[in-house]
Amino acid sequence: MTILNRFSGSGALGRHLKPAHAKPLTAAGGVLAVVAALLPWVTFLLGDGAYPAKATLQFFDAPFAVEGYRLHVLLLGLAALVVTFVAKTPGRGRVLRALGWGVFAISLISAVFITGRGGGLGAITAADGVTAFGSIVGVVAGLLIVLGAKAGHLDDIPEWSTDLPRWAAYLALVVAFVGVLYLVASMLTAGGTGGASNPYAGPIFLAFLGMAGGLLGALNGLGVVRWISALSEKHRAFSIVVLLVCALALPLTSAGNEYWMTVATTIGVYAATAIGLNIVVGLAGLLDLGYVAFMGIGAFVAANLSGAAAAKVGIDLPFPLAALLAAAIAGVIGAIVGSPTLRVRGDYLAIVTLAFGEIFTKSAQNNIGGLTGGSNAIPGIPNVEVAGTAFNEPITVLGADLPGGVLYYFMIVLVVGAIMAVFANLKNSRIGRAWIAIREDEDAARAMGIKTGKAKILAFLAGATLAGLAGAIFAHKLSTSSYESFKFLESVTLLAAVILGGMGTIPGAVLGASLLFVLPEKLREFDEYRLLVFGLALILIMRFRPQGLMPDRVRRAELAGETAGGKSIEEEEELVVEHEHEAPGPKGGKA
Amino acid sequence: MSITDNMAAAPAPPVLQAQGVTMVFGGLTALNNVSLSLGKGEIVGLIGPNGAGKTTFFNCLTGLYLPSRGRVLLDGSQLAADPSKVTIAGVARTFQNIRLFPNMTVLENVMVGRHSRMRQDPISTLLRLPAFHRGERAARERSRELLEFVGLTRAEHEVARNLPYGDQRRLEIARALATDPKVLLLDEPTAGMNPQETEATRQLIFAIRDTGVSVVVIEHDIKFIFGLCDKVSVLVQGELLVEGTPEVVRADPRVVEAYLGKPPEEVEADVRAASTEHDTRGEA
Repeated sequence: MTILNRFSGSGALGRHLKPAHAKPLTAAGGVLAVVAALLPWVTFLLGDGAYPAKATLQFFDAPFAVEGYRLHVLLLGLAALVVTFVAKTPGRGRVLRALGWGVFAISLISAVFITGRGGGLGAITAADGVTAFGSIVGVVAGLLIVLGAKAGHLDDIPEWSTDLPRWAAYLALVVAFVGVLYLVASMLTAGGTGGASNPYAGPIFLAFLGMAGGLLGALNGLGVVRWISALSEKHRAFSIVVLLVCALALPLTSAGNEYWMTVATTIGVYAATAIGLNIVVGLAGLLDLGYVAFMGIGAFVAANLSGAAAAKVGIDLPFPLAALLAAAIAGVIGAIVGSPTLRVRGDYLAIVTLAFGEIFTKSAQNNIGGLTGGSNAIPGIPNVEVAGTAFNEPITVLGADLPGGVLYYFMIVLVVGAIMAVFANLKNSRIGRAWIAIREDEDAARAMGIKTGKAKILAFLAGATLAGLAGAIFAHKLSTSSYESFKFLESVTLLAAVILGGMGTIPGAVLGASLLFVLPEKLREFDEYRLLVFGLALILIMRFRPQGLMPDRVRRAELAGETAGGKSIEEEEELVVEHEHEAPGPKGGKA
Repeated sequence: MSITDNMAAAPAPPVLQAQGVTMVFGGLTALNNVSLSLGKGEIVGLIGPNGAGKTTFFNCLTGLYLPSRGRVLLDGSQLAADPSKVTIAGVARTFQNIRLFPNMTVLENVMVGRHSRMRQDPISTLLRLPAFHRGERAARERSRELLEFVGLTRAEHEVARNLPYGDQRRLEIARALATDPKVLLLDEPTAGMNPQETEATRQLIFAIRDTGVSVVVIEHDIKFIFGLCDKVSVLVQGELLVEGTPEVVRADPRVVEAYLGKPPEEVEADVRAASTEHDTRGEA
């Protein structure tokens, strides 16, 4: 614990720093970050070719050709210098802290990767007469900036007025959402396809996450994130339209090829499922460890109604009808499974749902009733077709050539949009309040006249229906439906997506699902380590951001102990301590 | 103490009636043949030493327990042993240890109380049809009225857990009132309050009574009970010892004796001291 505190700079070390140290520290950190970006990072030529952006003395070979992660370090460093000396923005401490963590993360990831590849610390220090201290300087630079930010005053996140003329608000929203689109496209493609052909995909992607995190943290510190979300709240309809258009425009960006469309579609399917799970776990507070089974039920129902040769039920229904049936059947089974769990709470409920998940997987594996194809799965599910166009074919819209699979992507975007609307409309309604009340205090909820049994079954039903719908799309997209896709690990990953993103929020579930299902793709090259890295990342995130990446207003208050001003309780305490030091009195004791 | 006018009013037919309620846990008889009758607009107090069975009796009234013998009637029809059905029938309650929905806002807490008094069908909820908005608006307006009634309008958008203690108690009352009860059961509404807050609570309970709601109060603070209630019932070791107006109960030697055989002034001090232990120990 103390090590972690020290690590995060908020413990003893942070307290020894005085505000006077802030500027020199951040300035030194900024300069070092810039220097680090220009230094060589590797002492040898990596076996698989140079590490991206030729992490050697390239700047001197080709001036101004700093690219990739080194460009990011350079930009973050420059931003830290600008914020320190030129633009003394409100919320400066938070901006600097985020920038510092960004520099630190990028440098550390590269350092670890290069060290691992080079077989020792020689790879990032000096070996055979070649020196390469880039990553170490970068790590130090990041830490200095963070410490400097902590030494200074961490002021409140500023609130910007949302009283803008309509056109200005619309412009800001369009710029913001196009920015998000650009970020999503870059993040999808960062490092390229994982796997043997591209051993650098993992570290580049992780380093990009460091950059994105630093950038978003800085924007949050500036109050921009809050401002945009307040604006979009105010102009809700407009925001939804722009967001939808941006999502549909993804195939036009750098992510516009068949591979990324497939990845994006898969993410969409899991995001839809995660939102469904969010009803059960995030709103009603029912811990469900067998949730992916409902997605499986949807997939197998759709497979059986698709006219696939291997399916036992040889009925060939049009896709929309089959998808609706799949959703309905999953929902009914959800309600049936939910009813015996009404008498159990908490841990016991988790065990019961876990058992249900296992029953489903084992039944599917053993081909119960011949409906699941057992270990052969149900292959050959035909593609969805509309007007003679199969959904996996490339299409041309208004002269723009779109890659194959784009129609599946469009479909999942619309479905996720619809599911978001369902979630939001349920959350802010009579039944949504009842769910949250049950989560908060079941006995008190009953005393308020809520029939808790009925409400819980409704939560299971709603969640399972959405999962079933997602499963139907999943089966058609993959063109096969196998029990292997619906194992316990998937349930856990979905649950992790919901908790990681932030319980009870829509963007949280989508972000969580994206991260958790993209990471394994990108870390393919580290097959033996990827679950390790994955687990480690989860632990770190939960330690430093227990409320999730995009928390609910109240979740934030509960888990991060934040006060109304958006400060953490720790920070408030530090402030109090500072004031006690300033005011000499009976309380002002030892340092 | 000037509630004699009220007592003089013609007795209304009982709203809530407990008839011979007996509750046996294993071999322990927690309640033995306890009866209670509550008229419209009446305030009845329930007092007794620790472990006398007050909370058990409360739980029988609110449907948490099904009495082993005897029955509880609301307007002449028997109440089900299911807290949600009891609430829907018109008996609302607060809790001894405040049990709000801590992470919901003040307004949302009260709106949860409206749950059983509003209808929303799934179609209009999902599609946000006009019927949905009408229902929500009505629930929100009624909830705001209640918040104004208990004096929490300013805190409408605060998260419930951040409210000061006294405000949390008042919010619990507003939430209970949102279920449109005929009878309101208050479980130690002034526990942990200072004298000013206690007096404000007393005025609030009178105001509730004036809207036609009947009130049952469990309390340790005897002075508070005597200054508030039209009738007082004293429970001792699971049995109803005395029942009557505050004057009658106060004068009854058995009550004095039950409270350690001391005159009322000292009894009061004793009971106050005991009530601080009460939370940690709980009751049978």
